[in-house]
Amino acid sequence: MRSGVVYTETVVHLAPERFAADVPYQVAIVRLDDGERVTARVEGERVSIDDRVVEAEIRGGITYFRRE
Amino acid sequence: MRPVAIVGAGKTPFGAFADKDLRALAVEAGKKALTDGRAVPEAIEAFYLGNFAGPEFTGQNHLAPYISTALGMTGIPSTRFEAACASSGAAFFQAFMGVASGIYDTVMVVGVEKMTCQPTARVTEILSEAGDCATEVKAGSTFPSLFAMIARRHMHDFGTTREHLSAVAVKNHANGALNPDAQMRKVITLEQAMNARPIAEPLNLYDCSLISDGAAAVVLCAADRARDYSDKPVKVLGVAQASDWVALDQKPDITTFAAVRGAAERAYRMAGVGAKQIEFAELHDCFTIAEIIAMEDLGFVERGGGGSFSAEGGTRRDGPMPVNASGGLKSKGHPVGATGVAQICDVVQQLRCEAGERQLARHSLGLAQNLGGSGATCVVTILGRE
Repeated sequence: MRSGVVYTETVVHLAPERFAADVPYQVAIVRLDDGERVTARVEGERVSIDDRVVEAEIRGGITYFRRE
Repeated sequence: MRPVAIVGAGKTPFGAFADKDLRALAVEAGKKALTDGRAVPEAIEAFYLGNFAGPEFTGQNHLAPYISTALGMTGIPSTRFEAACASSGAAFFQAFMGVASGIYDTVMVVGVEKMTCQPTARVTEILSEAGDCATEVKAGSTFPSLFAMIARRHMHDFGTTREHLSAVAVKNHANGALNPDAQMRKVITLEQAMNARPIAEPLNLYDCSLISDGAAAVVLCAADRARDYSDKPVKVLGVAQASDWVALDQKPDITTFAAVRGAAERAYRMAGVGAKQIEFAELHDCFTIAEIIAMEDLGFVERGGGGSFSAEGGTRRDGPMPVNASGGLKSKGHPVGATGVAQICDVVQQLRCEAGERQLARHSLGLAQNLGGSGATCVVTILGRE
């Protein structure tokens, strides 16, 4: 499982139709331990900058991280 | 390269206009620019259109000749330029080069967008296509959310606050309230701005620019012919365009835009001026945080100092560095493909001392900064009085 640190995040309240059922949802840029940066969803507890997160699952083509 | 001047400028009001389609808006702005420049359509040798997503918003493609012919221009090269919200800035840059190189003597640039014909959720989706659809957009990013993530990191790194962001909104609304062509002519209080409903945290409704219909146009010509068209020609002293990754997560530091710094550096060099000499600016405040970062990337304030400078009134019309005296994208409106040329029209208006109640005391050297996406394109233009 990939893991890393939250570089930045937001909670989205207004989304396009295909994500409207998900709001509010959290999106973060995660700086992975190998240095790569990815944009992903966060599930479960909300996270903040510098929190450690781990990849939880891929659902509907979307990668989800959660607090480590 | 020879000197280039702006001899005609014209804009439609910005707003929601159910009775005006995309072409009607573009033609209205184009005719105003021709009239302002005492030019006939036959004088225009090439037509440059800035438009982001006309085909998706309206169903019509092949837009440049569709508009130029309706303006009475036949047979001339007519091309559409797309660079997200910097589409008409990019078209202006190409038009400038057409005249500066000596290929053409007189050209027209029009920027247009017709957005209010789609519901908000669909508009949000179309705008998000200016991001990386395979990665960040797929994960659920919208444009407000990309700038929200930029704001979060800027707050973390530099201590920028919720109040700093709202100060930008309050100031731009105060300016826009005096602009007869602005979409939202409404003064707001700091309390209102800070407590609006969230869109993408930490950004709320008043941090976001508007969904708008509108068009703007300019006529450019070789500077040595400018007096044939105008008694108040404006000199294009410097213009430059730069680019960067489309995906926000590929930028090593999202609190600064490399494309803005790159375009600014080249435009300053071309104009032979520095940031401290610029007297006023129209900046791309698609979101309040974008105006704060633009201040820093253009060198008007030190890195991280944009928020406090704005909150202290530094960017008000009576401040040391007036920004968005027009009301900015925030209050004036943001028909995305029109914005770059509209900013240039607003700078021209100040330089010619025609801004009415919003007229600035110092108005001989102004700058326009037009940003595309989350910083993947930037066009910086520096204009001065003859």
